[in-house]
Amino acid sequence: MKLGGYELKLEKKIRVSAWEATAISLLAILIGLALVGLIFLQAKVNPLTGYKAIFSYAFANKFGLPLTVNRSVFILLCTCAFIIPMKAGLWNIGMAGQLYGGALAAFGVALALGAKGSQTPTLAPGLIITLMMLAAILGGAVIGAIPGFLKGRFNTNEIVVTMMLNSIGFWLIAYGIKEGGPFMGGGGEGEGFKLAESVFPPKVLGGAFTIPLALGLAVLLYLLFARTTLGYQIKAFGQSPSAAKYAGISPQNVPLLVFILGGMIAGLAGYHYFAAVPGVYKIPLNYGDFGDLSFYGIICGLISQGNPVAAVPFALLFGGLTNGGRFVQGQLKLGYGIDYALLGVLMITLVAFQFFYRNSIVWKKMEREP
Amino acid sequence: MSNPSVKRGDIVLEARGITKRFPGVVANDRIDFEIRAGEIHAILGENGAGKTTLMKILFGLIQPDEGEIYVHGQKVALHSPLDAIHLGIGMVHQNRKLIPAHTVIENIILGHPKAGSVPDLTKTRGEIAELCDRYGFKIDLKAKVWQLSEGEKQAVEILKTLYRGARILILDEPTSALAPPETKKLLESIRIMTGDDLALVPFITHKLPIVLAISERVTVLRRGKVTARLRTTEATENSLAREMVGREVIFRLDHVEVERGRPILEVEGLSALNDKGVPALKGVSFSVHEGEVFGIAGVSGNGQQVLAEVLAGMRKATAGRVRIDGIDITRSGCLERWKHGMGYIPSDRIDTGSIGAYSLVDNVLLNYYFDGAFSNWGIVDSRKTRKLTEDLISEFGIATPGPETAARSLSGGNLQKLILARVLSRKPRLIIANLPTQGLDVGATEFVQNKLLEAKRQHAAILLISEDLDEVLSLSDRVAPIYEGEFMGVVPIKDARIEDIGAMMAGMRQKVAQP
Repeated sequence: MKLGGYELKLEKKIRVSAWEATAISLLAILIGLALVGLIFLQAKVNPLTGYKAIFSYAFANKFGLPLTVNRSVFILLCTCAFIIPMKAGLWNIGMAGQLYGGALAAFGVALALGAKGSQTPTLAPGLIITLMMLAAILGGAVIGAIPGFLKGRFNTNEIVVTMMLNSIGFWLIAYGIKEGGPFMGGGGEGEGFKLAESVFPPKVLGGAFTIPLALGLAVLLYLLFARTTLGYQIKAFGQSPSAAKYAGISPQNVPLLVFILGGMIAGLAGYHYFAAVPGVYKIPLNYGDFGDLSFYGIICGLISQGNPVAAVPFALLFGGLTNGGRFVQGQLKLGYGIDYALLGVLMITLVAFQFFYRNSIVWKKMEREP
Repeated sequence: MSNPSVKRGDIVLEARGITKRFPGVVANDRIDFEIRAGEIHAILGENGAGKTTLMKILFGLIQPDEGEIYVHGQKVALHSPLDAIHLGIGMVHQNRKLIPAHTVIENIILGHPKAGSVPDLTKTRGEIAELCDRYGFKIDLKAKVWQLSEGEKQAVEILKTLYRGARILILDEPTSALAPPETKKLLESIRIMTGDDLALVPFITHKLPIVLAISERVTVLRRGKVTARLRTTEATENSLAREMVGREVIFRLDHVEVERGRPILEVEGLSALNDKGVPALKGVSFSVHEGEVFGIAGVSGNGQQVLAEVLAGMRKATAGRVRIDGIDITRSGCLERWKHGMGYIPSDRIDTGSIGAYSLVDNVLLNYYFDGAFSNWGIVDSRKTRKLTEDLISEFGIATPGPETAARSLSGGNLQKLILARVLSRKPRLIIANLPTQGLDVGATEFVQNKLLEAKRQHAAILLISEDLDEVLSLSDRVAPIYEGEFMGVVPIKDARIEDIGAMMAGMRQKVAQP
C-alpha cells in the first residue's frame, strides 16, 4: 500500500519477545471484545454494561468465581493434553474421548469398590480416591494410546482417529449412565450415580485439590520441554521427523508416547470435573458440554504457542467468559448463543493476530521511481 | 525472436551499480558487468558471495535497492519474472521446476502464451523438434519427464526457455547434477547456442575446470563485490580460486598414507528398496578398515543414497548383513549404531542433518542428547552443551553470531561445518560421509576434505559417497563405482584411472578380475 511518499511494508520478524506476545494478545482480545460489542449494540445493550456484567460475574462473584476457576482448570488440563502431541507435530483433537474414558474408568473403580451413593465403601476411602484418580489417568491413556499407536505404526491420520474416539467415548458414557446402564444414578434422570460422601476428595483452600495439581502440572510440562532430553526428543520429532530419525529418535515411539501422556492428562481433566469439583461428584446429564469445553484446550494451546504456563491466563479468560457469557445471556435477556459468539470471535481475533508474531508492519519512505 | 538484429559481440545486458541490502548484510555491493551476444559469461562465487541475489535480480524475482539494468541499451525495471521473460531473459533453475507426470512437450508449452487453451500439439512438436535439432538435444518429446535423466531434464528446461523466445539464458549451476558424459553433451549444446548469438550466463560455485572450458568471460564475486573481471584465456584454476576465496587454495590433496588396520565396517550381500518399493540396492558386499577411505562413486540415483540410509539405520535392509567392529547391527536402530561408534553425515543437511528452527546448541545436541555425559537424570546439561558448541564453533571456524543463533541462518558451508563438527567430535570409529561437499564452495570443500583426512589419520574408517569423481579419487584408498544398485568393481586407488572409473559409473563392469 502506498500513501504520500511512504509505503506500507511487511517485514518478517526473527523472534518475538514475551512482552510483544503479551501486547499482541491483549490487543487481539480488545479488538475481539469491541467486535462483539456490536452484537450487544444490535441487541440494544450498552456493551460496557454487558462486559461489566460478564466480568464481574466471572471473576468477582462468590458464585461465579469458583465456577470460573473449575472450568479454567479443566480447560488448562485439556490444553496440556493438546500441547504434548502438538510439540511432536501431532494434533490431539481427542481430549473429549480421553476425558470420557478417564471418567468411565474412575467411576468404574468407585462402582467396583462400593463407593456409590449411600453404600459403604469396601476399602479405605483414601485408597479409593487414589485408585479413582489413577484409573482416570489410565483410562485417558488407553484411549490416547490408540491414535498414538496407529500413527507410529501405520501413519494413520491422528485427527480422524481421535475425532472418532470422541464419538465412541460420548456414546459409551450415554450407555453407562442412561436408563439401565451400570453407572445409572438413582433418580432415573439420565445422570450418573453420585459418589459416596466418604470418597469426596480432600479440598485445598475450599476448592478442588486438582486446581493446584493442574497448575503444578503446567509448570512441570514447561520444564519437560525446556530442560529434559525427553522433551528435546519430542520437539525434535515435531520440528523435523527426518532429522529426528537421523538422530536415533524412534518415529514409532514418539507418537505413541505423546498421545499416552496427552491422554493421561485429559483423563485427569475428566476426574477433575466429575469427581473432584465440590458439588458435582458424578457424571452429569450435560457431560457432553464438557466434551465441547475441552476443545478450548486446542485454541489455548495454539494461542500460547505450546507454552503450558503461558496458557494459564488464556484458560482463565476462556473459563471466565463461557461462565459469565452464559450468565449474562439470561440476566440481560440476550439472544441464545451470545456466549458462543463471544468466544468464537475472540478465538478468531487471537488466531488472526498471531500473524504479528511473525511479521511486523512498517512504514517505509519510497524510493523515487525513475 | 525478440531482437533478431543483435549481432555477436553486441552488449545485450548491462548492470550498473547493483546494490541489494538485507538486514545485516550487503548481498550485492555496486556490481557492474556486461553480457554480450554469442558469449558465455560465467559468474563465479562461493556460497554467500551474492550470486543467488544477483541472479534473482536479473530475473526480476527481487528488486535491487540501487543500480540500473539495461537490456539492448534500454534501461529497464524488472518488477517480476514476467518482465524479464518479455525482454527475452530466461532462467534455468538448479532445482528442476518440471511436472514429472507430464510429457516433455506438455512441460515445455505449460504456461506458454502461444499455447492457448487447446494446444496445437503437432505444430508445437514440429517447432520444438526443430529447436532440438538445431542445438543437438536428443530427447523423446513424448516421454514423461520422470523417465528422463538429470541431463535430459536440464535440456527440457533450456528448451522451455528457448521456446519462450529467450535470448539471454541464466543458468544456475548447470552441471552440478550431471554425470561426466552428460556434462559433455550439455557443453556441446551450449557452444552451438552461443554460435546462434545467444548470451549465456552460468552461475557457478565450484567446478572451476568447467568455467575455464566453456566461458569466454568470468566475473568473480566475493562477499557481494566483484573481485575480478577476466577473459578466460587470461585465467587459471588457481587464479580464479584465489579471487573467489581470497587466498591460495590447494587443489591437489596429498594422499594421506595411514596403515590399514582391522575391518570396522563389514557388509555382506546387502539389499534394500527405495521409497517407491523398488529394489535399489542389490547384494552389495564390501568392508572398510581402520585408517581407510572407501569411496563410492556414482551418478545420483544409483542406490548410494539407499546404501547410506541402510548403513545409518534409517532404512530397512531386505537381505544381507552389516557388522560394525564385529557386532551384527543389521537389525539395530539408528541410536544403537551411534552408540556403537557410527557417525553419519547425511547428504540432506537442511532437513535431515539439522533442524533449522533450532539453535546451534540444540543442533549439536542431536548427536549428544543420548550421551550420559551431557545430561543428568534426563535433564540436559545446558552449560556443557553450550560449552561444546562454542568449542566446535571456534575449532571449525563456523561463521555465526553465536551458539544461540538459529541453524537456518547459516550458509550452506557453515551448516555443513556444524554437522561435520558435531559428528566428528564424537570420535566415531566409522564415518559415513554422504556427499559431504555437495554444493559447497571451494573454501568449504577444502576444509571438509581436510577434516575427513584428519579423521583418517586418527584411524577412523571412512565410507565416502560422492558424485564428484575428482573428490573420490583424491580422498579414497579404494574406489567402488556404483551403478543401478551394484558395485561395478572395487579399484585400489593406485590402479584407478579416471576414464575407467567414469565408464564403470556408467555401467561397465571392471574388466580385470580383482586381485
